[in-house]
Amino acid sequence: MLTLEDLFVVAVVWGTVIVLSWFLSSYLLGVFTGRKSRLDRILVPVENFIYLLAGIDSSKNMGWKEYFKTLLYLNAGEAILAFFILMFQQSLPLNPMHYSGMSWSLALNTVLSFSSNTNLQHYNGELTLSYLSQMSAIQFLQFTSAATGLAVGVAVIRGFAGKARTIGNFYYDYVRSLTRVLLPLAFIATIILIFMGVPQALSGYPTVSTLQKGATEILYKGPVASLVSIMQLGTNGGGYFGANSAYPLQNPSQLSDLFEIGMMMFIPTSLLFLFGRMVGDNREGRTLFLAAYAIYGIDLLIAFLSTTVIGRGLEVRIGGVASTLWTVTTTAFTTGSLNASLSGFNPVVILTAFFGMLIQAAPGGVGVGAMYLIMYVIVTIFLVGLMAGRTPEYLGVKIEGSDVKLAVAAFLTHPIIILVPTVVAFAIGAESTVGLAANATGFTRIFYEFTSAAANNGSDYLGAAGNTVFFNVATGIVMWVGRFLPILFMLAIADGVSTRKRSQKQGLKTGSISFVVILVFSIFILTVLTFFPFLVLGPVLQFLQGMKLSIGGVIFGL
Amino acid sequence: MKGFRNLSTAARLTLISVVICGLLFPIIMTGIGQVAAPWQSNGSQVYYDGKSIGSDLISQDFSAPVFFHPRNDSASGVDPDITLTYALSQVPRIHNATGIPESFLNATLEKYTQYTMFFFGTKYVNVLNVNLYLMESFPSIYAPYVQ
Repeated sequence: MLTLEDLFVVAVVWGTVIVLSWFLSSYLLGVFTGRKSRLDRILVPVENFIYLLAGIDSSKNMGWKEYFKTLLYLNAGEAILAFFILMFQQSLPLNPMHYSGMSWSLALNTVLSFSSNTNLQHYNGELTLSYLSQMSAIQFLQFTSAATGLAVGVAVIRGFAGKARTIGNFYYDYVRSLTRVLLPLAFIATIILIFMGVPQALSGYPTVSTLQKGATEILYKGPVASLVSIMQLGTNGGGYFGANSAYPLQNPSQLSDLFEIGMMMFIPTSLLFLFGRMVGDNREGRTLFLAAYAIYGIDLLIAFLSTTVIGRGLEVRIGGVASTLWTVTTTAFTTGSLNASLSGFNPVVILTAFFGMLIQAAPGGVGVGAMYLIMYVIVTIFLVGLMAGRTPEYLGVKIEGSDVKLAVAAFLTHPIIILVPTVVAFAIGAESTVGLAANATGFTRIFYEFTSAAANNGSDYLGAAGNTVFFNVATGIVMWVGRFLPILFMLAIADGVSTRKRSQKQGLKTGSISFVVILVFSIFILTVLTFFPFLVLGPVLQFLQGMKLSIGGVIFGL
Repeated sequence: MKGFRNLSTAARLTLISVVICGLLFPIIMTGIGQVAAPWQSNGSQVYYDGKSIGSDLISQDFSAPVFFHPRNDSASGVDPDITLTYALSQVPRIHNATGIPESFLNATLEKYTQYTMFFFGTKYVNVLNVNLYLMESFPSIYAPYVQ
């Protein structure tokens, strides 16, 4: 049931985030169009120094191939550096707990995971990683993957807006994402988190004698707040602790819980408004915003209607409402952090989580969420054009056959890299290596694992149990393909559109409310048609099997 | 030649990024945290007799019948809180083990009750805080059970 408490919480969180995102989008417009700012006095010398050290010409416009190549090289370089830090942490400084290095397959999985903004974790951070690894591998990649995502989102929007007649320069977008957006926001968020009770220390993990005679506890205090700030703002989701945001030191209260939910919604929401601002017509941004929030809202409504009672797997201080809101939000924004154990939820909540990850644009992760929405817009405009027998147009630009092919390729990447490895996993019996059977529960969990990997989400059921060579390598490949292949296709479309001739008269009114309805409908149809058989075999079957438990005594269902 | 330039730029920008985001940022934040909010930065530790007895935020191993017990099936495994309902169900056991009047135990729980959503939502209590209060109120009863 939907209670007054549920409505109050959602209204407060949504209201605050939407208003703040509107202001952030205005700031972002200045950052990425190079508008003069009072921050320039401090930041321009810093940025110029970075360009000088790295040998970057930030004023040179790049085509889609060069934008993608520079982005891929940089992300590969960052992943390689983090890989060596994780494998050799025992010989590196800041390891007062004397943890040994990761195995090659786990280190590989971890760096592919964090550099692709996924943050699937096959380890428990507090028991595995040194301070240096948490800071210079994990937190580092959380910053850089968010900066990459933001750069891509802005480049695609810039291309469609067409004012600059280019998608821009990757290094310029990446560096300014860090210096003017992510680092300042993370700075403020870290301080707020510390005051809310999240630790920020580097003095080791003491064992203390607790109140009752003979009992002890290990106090895992580390650089947690700084990590959580970028993990949420950057829609990364990989926590300092294995239990993620269920662990009280990462999420001490209901207030910190709502703050962290707001953080993950902040940048992706503002990118939708930025679209309207860059195009020069706020109605176009409103379309993306309304479509994304309509789907997010429908998911929330479904999740709340299936009551989640506080019980196994949920933290008392956070409660059912905030746990459900978190789980739907973390998948809708493809963050993937958790504040409760997934196995504590009704299968219906899991089904809505699947929808968030399968769509990836409701509203999706930092930068790429907006990118995927534009992908859906292109496919929708094409479908509407077919039905109306008109040439498809968006923002006054003719959408060509090659654009549609590339958008469909980006869309199809997702089902292929989810469904094929899921089938392979069961074909070779990999489910038994992580203690699962070939039934509805086992299927849901493996399907969830690859969906989460492909969507660059990172929430999962397996956790440290997933640390097998098969799952490390398979999900590692899925995460990188799921991240970079759609980026390649969408950059190509945006670059093509950026220089194309624009007409003043507009065919389809994409700024209208009726287009929002068509867009939402088409997103649901496309996703459901693609994944329906798999959803039926997993969470739907589980839900039907669960029905007989709720009608005690009389056995109905399957 | 151009490919090499790209690779060299990628390598240099990688190193610049790791120094800024992976070293300077967390270290500066640690400095600020340790100065501005040392209690929270070091894990919200509760002190008794000048000695740390663990974090306010992490559940402790209470198994003796004289204490309120935590639950260990929650997501983190270290949930420091229990619902008020569960706490009230433990009152008769603690009364039997210690002789502390049930009315006092109920009043203690009421004093420490928090809500999941500011002023409404589910009522709950922090187990460590309640036990610490009982211990301070009845030191002679609790002396054999504590450190």
